[in-house]
Amino acid sequence: MRSRRIVAALLLLVAGCSEPPEQAGFAGLAESGQSPATVPFLQPEPGDRLTFPEDFGPHPQHRIEWWYLTANLETSGGEPLGLQWTQFRQTLEPRPPTQAPPPPSRWPLQAAWKAHGAVSWTGQHRFAEKLARGDVGHAGATAEPFEVWLDDWQLTSEGGSDAWRLQVSAADWSYDLSLRVQGEPVAHGEAGFSAKSASGEGSMYFSLVDIAIEGTVTVDGQTLSVRGKGWFDREWSSQLLKAGQQGWDWFALHLDSGDKLMAFRLREGEGGFVSGTWIPAAGEPVALGPGDLMLTPGSLRGDMPTRWRLQVPDYGVDLSVKAPPGDYRNRGQFPYWESPVSVTGSHSGEGYMELTGYGGE
Amino acid sequence: MKLFAALLSHYRRHPLQLLALAAMMVVASALWTGVSHLTSQARASLGQSERAVAERAQVERVDGMPVTVADFVALRRAGHCVMPWLEVERPASTGRVVGIDPLAAACFGQPAESYRGWDQPLNGESFLDIREAKNLAAAGDGARATLSLLLSGPPGQPALPEAYRRAPFSLGPDTGELGESFLLNLDALGVLVLLITALLLRSVHQLGLAQRRDSFALLHRFGVPEPAVRRALVIEIVLLAAVCVVPGVALGRLLAGGLGSGFGQALESLFDVPLFAGQGSSWLTPVLTMMAVVLAVCLADQLHFSGRQVIRRLAGQGYRVTLLTLVAGLALAFVSSSLALTFVAIALVFAGAGVLAPGLISELARRCGRASAAPLTRWQCAEIGVLARRLALPLVALQFALAMVLAVQALVTVFEATFDDWLSQRLAADYFIEVPAGADSLAAADWLETQSPLAGSGRWHRVVRGRAILPAVDGWPGQTVDLFALGPVSNMLGTWRLQAAIDAPWEAFSRGQGIMVNEQLARRRQLSVGDSLTLALAGERWTAPVLAVYPDYGRPAGEVLIHAAQLPAGFRPDGESFAISPDTADLDAVTSGLKRVWQTETLSLRDNGRIRALADSVFEQTFLLTRSMTVLTLILAAMALLIMGWVFFTTRVWYYRLLAVWGMGPREVAGQLVRLSVTLTMSIAVLALPLGIWLTWALVHRVNPQAFGWSLPMAVYPEFWFELAGLSLIIGLSIAALMRRQLRQPAAMPVSASGLSGGER
Repeated sequence: MRSRRIVAALLLLVAGCSEPPEQAGFAGLAESGQSPATVPFLQPEPGDRLTFPEDFGPHPQHRIEWWYLTANLETSGGEPLGLQWTQFRQTLEPRPPTQAPPPPSRWPLQAAWKAHGAVSWTGQHRFAEKLARGDVGHAGATAEPFEVWLDDWQLTSEGGSDAWRLQVSAADWSYDLSLRVQGEPVAHGEAGFSAKSASGEGSMYFSLVDIAIEGTVTVDGQTLSVRGKGWFDREWSSQLLKAGQQGWDWFALHLDSGDKLMAFRLREGEGGFVSGTWIPAAGEPVALGPGDLMLTPGSLRGDMPTRWRLQVPDYGVDLSVKAPPGDYRNRGQFPYWESPVSVTGSHSGEGYMELTGYGGE
Repeated sequence: MKLFAALLSHYRRHPLQLLALAAMMVVASALWTGVSHLTSQARASLGQSERAVAERAQVERVDGMPVTVADFVALRRAGHCVMPWLEVERPASTGRVVGIDPLAAACFGQPAESYRGWDQPLNGESFLDIREAKNLAAAGDGARATLSLLLSGPPGQPALPEAYRRAPFSLGPDTGELGESFLLNLDALGVLVLLITALLLRSVHQLGLAQRRDSFALLHRFGVPEPAVRRALVIEIVLLAAVCVVPGVALGRLLAGGLGSGFGQALESLFDVPLFAGQGSSWLTPVLTMMAVVLAVCLADQLHFSGRQVIRRLAGQGYRVTLLTLVAGLALAFVSSSLALTFVAIALVFAGAGVLAPGLISELARRCGRASAAPLTRWQCAEIGVLARRLALPLVALQFALAMVLAVQALVTVFEATFDDWLSQRLAADYFIEVPAGADSLAAADWLETQSPLAGSGRWHRVVRGRAILPAVDGWPGQTVDLFALGPVSNMLGTWRLQAAIDAPWEAFSRGQGIMVNEQLARRRQLSVGDSLTLALAGERWTAPVLAVYPDYGRPAGEVLIHAAQLPAGFRPDGESFAISPDTADLDAVTSGLKRVWQTETLSLRDNGRIRALADSVFEQTFLLTRSMTVLTLILAAMALLIMGWVFFTTRVWYYRLLAVWGMGPREVAGQLVRLSVTLTMSIAVLALPLGIWLTWALVHRVNPQAFGWSLPMAVYPEFWFELAGLSLIIGLSIAALMRRQLRQPAAMPVSASGLSGGER
């Protein structure tokens, strides 16, 4: 899941040109009402399966979905550089995937799009946000060939399913990266159905966890050569959060041992719902349930818990995770924290952390 | 502390005085804060909008075809910040709507700011999401939709793809500097309100002090030194100001908030400026200003500032100095060539008139008393004289307020009438059709000339706009002016109101026997009808007589009007259009024909009726608000006079009781009170009349031309004078009614023997 869901709800708000709907969970992601249209929203449930390559494309009968890339890179000078690109889609009027959208000349508003881009380098965090209505043409996504775009920000496949190019440009920063996808998609939860509460809310969720990246990042006119690794998520749902869940803490970690770990906690009152996936360097991914995984917040930076302890006792994992110095809040319409992290403890490594729904955002 | 308690005990005995002073501080602070808050908000909004408008542009296709959704997508994907703007013209009963895409608008400026900016029109009636607007257009019913692509950012950044070009985008009639003019008037109103409130505050405070003189004298006899009393009075007024000014400012902001929606609507419609709440809304400035005003007017007597002696000395010189001030102000207003000097002149005239008015009433009363042998008449005249002297400050405040209301009313009415005329002449045609870039306007003119029923009907003319050079001649430096060319001379031009003209100017114009100039150029070059003006057009010099001077409001630029047939072949216009009133002709047939002539798929057609209706409603709102604010000021002045009159008359109850001793019945005494108070208020209304008319003249003929280069016609509205006279009558009658109640209560002795407290005989 992720904050990605966030924005989509906001898009609805803006696009609807009406009074903002009453907030349901963080960014309205616990919203469960049906659309006034005759076509209902589809809600993922246990037993649903992933289909490739179709699931790289949009899901017009689901309320929310996102394409999400985070990357831990290094400049030619050896400095760490974090990077995020996300595109959100919010369905306003669901339609079956087999049905074509209205023609662009009618300025349809069955969906709204939002894109987030960020670069984190030398303690500075640059962020930009873009909005668009769906089905007009300047924002969209296709599974084959794989392409996701909003204005001139785009993630496109180049000459094959494992070679992608990502281009993003904001006022004072930009990046142009080549991505080489390695390994198969990792299905989270139960064959792709990722539960978000004990009562059944959830999403379809898979990741590409091993992406080799190289290219250039330009900040304030200074162009840097970068290379490193990335993590790509695809997720969609119609009701992601349960009513009462305030936000989440999410981690995607690359460990130096070659293992990977995805873990999240949905906060509810004093407790919450914990889940994750252990992806060993060799072998099949293992879904982690509430009894398998512990996420413990450490010291706060302002209102943000920027130090964490992650434990997966069955695999001898006891990690200390911390964000580098700086303020990594994405100050868009729904602010949230998105920062690179370093990992020490039983394993060393790096990764990304997302914190949403905190008061100080 | 005991001294302080002794001083404050006065207010315990006379709570009404404390209440009057506090109420005056609160209301004065509220009124001035309201006006200044609205003005500062408007100025901030105007500034912000000007920055935005400076960059407002649209994208056009180089091939002349209309822009489409595909163009929007191509430009967005190329990284350009464009947003769609779909205007849907519907039959008159349903009106026009504009469809926009708020998501696409997010790239215009900072996201939060732009969202707030676009959020406002979305809640209005005429703005819709672009999908809804498109659905309306698709529903038929004679609706016509035109898509524009608005472009953000300064020219050339980044360069547009080759297939597109940047073009200006206008949302309505160009109001030029009208916005600044509007704000200048509001500023002037704010200054006058401040002056009036200062006078009212001082008058109420002075009255209170006068009534406490006996207490001060008593304290002095008990050994309290005068400086100690003065210090205590300073602390008292500082505390009172601190307690009253802040709620007053808060009340003023509430007042501004109440007026804000209508004001904002007017501002937005008229100048395309949304009024952003919270801008220019510092608390500190109004609080400090009002504190300073309160302290200055109330403590002027406590502080030994040198100006006070000067004023006393001047006052000692009597009416000679006052008259001199007045005459100097009047003369300066005539000869001044700068805005600052004109404002000084206005200040001098107001100062002179303010000092003269009560003195004049008093003097006239004295002479009237001398001329009469009847004791009662002599008493009445003497009493009027006393009242005029003792109520001088509130009377002057009422005079200023009446004069201001009179001037603002005349100004607003003149504005309305003038702009109505001007809009009529500029929008005389039903439609403007723009000539597309590169299209041949002469071919279109030839085609129109052959079309029945337009041929020879005088219901259309060609409009060419460009630039001309006035070469340096006869000591005048060379300058570039706007060029406005028309032809053929249509019947629609007959409605133009000209400021000065030869006989049958349009006939001479159509024969190419001369040119016309706008008022701005005529003023700048001191041109009169019959003078010659040399122009350089496309490198050719041409001298022609001035046939007429026409008004041209809302912008400072000089302009020359020539017949289109006289444009040299090499002249490159900035823009061309046709003004057409099709009457019985079919507009669709005309536009289709022009499309064929110009071989284009799209025409830019402007419906002047809609613009006219918009402008009319907007002017109405704007002027209504200006009037409301002036009327509020008048009400404040009237209330102050009422309070003052009541309090002051109360101190003279003992004398009025003597009327009964002289043998008058209660009704006769009441009649005397009515005569006294009404004579007083009506006298001040009469004295306010010339001041108001003069102020109107100064604003119309001096301030506006000096500030903006164009003037308004001068007009007076006697029926409004009678309305103000009626108001003055009501104030007088109200004072008398209050006094009548007062006389019913016993008052055995005069409340004070002090001359300042009403004991003068």
